[in-house]
Amino acid sequence: MINEDQAFKILEACDERREARRSFLRYSSSAALLSGATLLSACGGGGRGDGGASDPILIPGPSPTPTPTPGTGALGDADILNFALNLEYLEAQFYSFAAFGTGLPDNILNGTGQRGQVTGGRQVPFTDQLVAQYAREIATDERNHVVFLRAALGASAVAQPTIDVGTGPNSAFSNAARASGLIGAGASFDAYANDENFLLAAFIFEDVGVTAYKGAAPLITSKTFLEAAAGILAAEAYHASLIRTVLYGKGLQTPSLRTATEQISGARDSLDDPSDKDQGVQKIGNMSNIVPVDGNGLAFSRSAGDVLNIVYLTAAAASQGGFFPDGVNGTIRLSTAG
Amino acid sequence: MTLGGQKLNAQSTVTDADILNFALNLEYLEAQFYLFATTGAGLPANLLTGTGTRGEATGGRKVNFTDPLVAEYANEIAADELAHVVFLRNALGAAAVAQPTIDIGIAPNGAFSTAARAAGLIGPAPAFFDPYANDENFLLGAFIFEDVGVTAYKGASPLITNKTFLEAAAGLLAVEAYHASLVRTVLFRKGIQTPALIDATEGISNARDSLDGSTDLDQGVRPIGNQSNIAPLDANGLAFSRNAGQVLNIVYLTGMARTQGGFFPNGVNGNIRTSQAN
Repeated sequence: MINEDQAFKILEACDERREARRSFLRYSSSAALLSGATLLSACGGGGRGDGGASDPILIPGPSPTPTPTPGTGALGDADILNFALNLEYLEAQFYSFAAFGTGLPDNILNGTGQRGQVTGGRQVPFTDQLVAQYAREIATDERNHVVFLRAALGASAVAQPTIDVGTGPNSAFSNAARASGLIGAGASFDAYANDENFLLAAFIFEDVGVTAYKGAAPLITSKTFLEAAAGILAAEAYHASLIRTVLYGKGLQTPSLRTATEQISGARDSLDDPSDKDQGVQKIGNMSNIVPVDGNGLAFSRSAGDVLNIVYLTAAAASQGGFFPDGVNGTIRLSTAG
Repeated sequence: MTLGGQKLNAQSTVTDADILNFALNLEYLEAQFYLFATTGAGLPANLLTGTGTRGEATGGRKVNFTDPLVAEYANEIAADELAHVVFLRNALGAAAVAQPTIDIGIAPNGAFSTAARAAGLIGPAPAFFDPYANDENFLLGAFIFEDVGVTAYKGASPLITNKTFLEAAAGLLAVEAYHASLVRTVLFRKGIQTPALIDATEGISNARDSLDGSTDLDQGVRPIGNQSNIAPLDANGLAFSRNAGQVLNIVYLTGMARTQGGFFPNGVNGNIRTSQAN
């Protein structure tokens, strides 16, 4: 039953997929800064099993030697969970307003640091009732994440920082949409106007949560918290895939939706570090691209600083901006320079 | 909060290589199913070698997809699962296990038919379940596996000691969750026109739950109130965990302690190979 020709076709398709990513990189604003070696590293090489420098993990043998945690110094688990809590506040508020027209209740917003308000959210007048159901499901999940993290952190939980989920021409959503080329100068992007805009706004956040939790996984020392974080990581991946699948499906009739995901992905890539950690849903050969993966078939990782680059909407080192006009609360609050 | 791997730990000292090899067995299974469904052929022979007894994957064939979107999704998942096999084999090097014998056929007493019968999708033999017959059956065949991979990687996460492997496993976990969500989203959408599909996911989910012990670790895609249920989560909004023994309950299709059965008629290769007695 083994037909190697067929299998090689699949391997070639993997290569095509990576090649498409390389092509995309060439067009992204940061790609010009990359060396060839970095490009290869970004695309991975494990699909071929070539064992090249692009394989991030090649530790042969039955008892791999543990490597030290890549350095972020003396971060405690609480610092990491609080960082995640800031992101969950943002997601929960956006989805809660979009799905229900109301934000999170006051009693789950207090904590350490400066408590801020959330501004600009409202209910989406959904046309497609399936999208409305999806929005309500995700809103409930994100609220549960806020409650769970606050309970896990106890008295050390950070307060909700100031959050901008508004629609004005200088709002975070409009700035993100403008950076993506979805709207022009002075125009506004209204994340709540219709099903499609809601889905694109959700897309702006969704894969970022996955990469953030994956990047944080090796930094968490408590096994209990680690497993919990893995559970939230999975939930974020389910959400991201749901949003991507719906955009891809609707994109069959409305190709601009698939294009928009590539534009948003490109904008995110221009903000975080130079490697390509992001993909839209555009078809590659005969394959959809619901799952953003490297050449090894693994999801990407982002450091906390890279995540803050995206939610602050800046490629520079900053302590506030974008969706968090006054910055996030907690000890991890600086985006990465460059 | 429970640690998903207590049973696995009880098998004394489980190494990272044991855990990755356990995962490799599951990735062989998924890759073979999706590769046959999309291309009519399985993994190349040079990706099947390793320690333990090498077996064949039998019974798979190409699906004649009607919905081009489903074909594109299947092609994508096949490529990802192939990449996972390659990646884990590279990471394990000479320690990688060989592919065990895998049954992905359609015989009335084969693994897919047995699973479908337990889920109430088909009656007694000679009835059989053919996951390659059409788009819908393919999606249900995929659904049988998908959420299981997520719970397996989540359950294993606290047991992995090497931080590099841990982050890689987190990457695999995420991808399995993307796949699972893709399959669930498509089944839910098609289920609006064909409600039997949504019923079938609940049947499969209940069958899995009946195998892996008394805790409810599984959900179909039936909406809850006015909310969809694409992501199967607990009350905290977290995905579920299964330990290795529970995962083997499902792929061996048994609620008992066994070393073989179901999709792995001769068992999996490696040190983790016994399902849990429930």
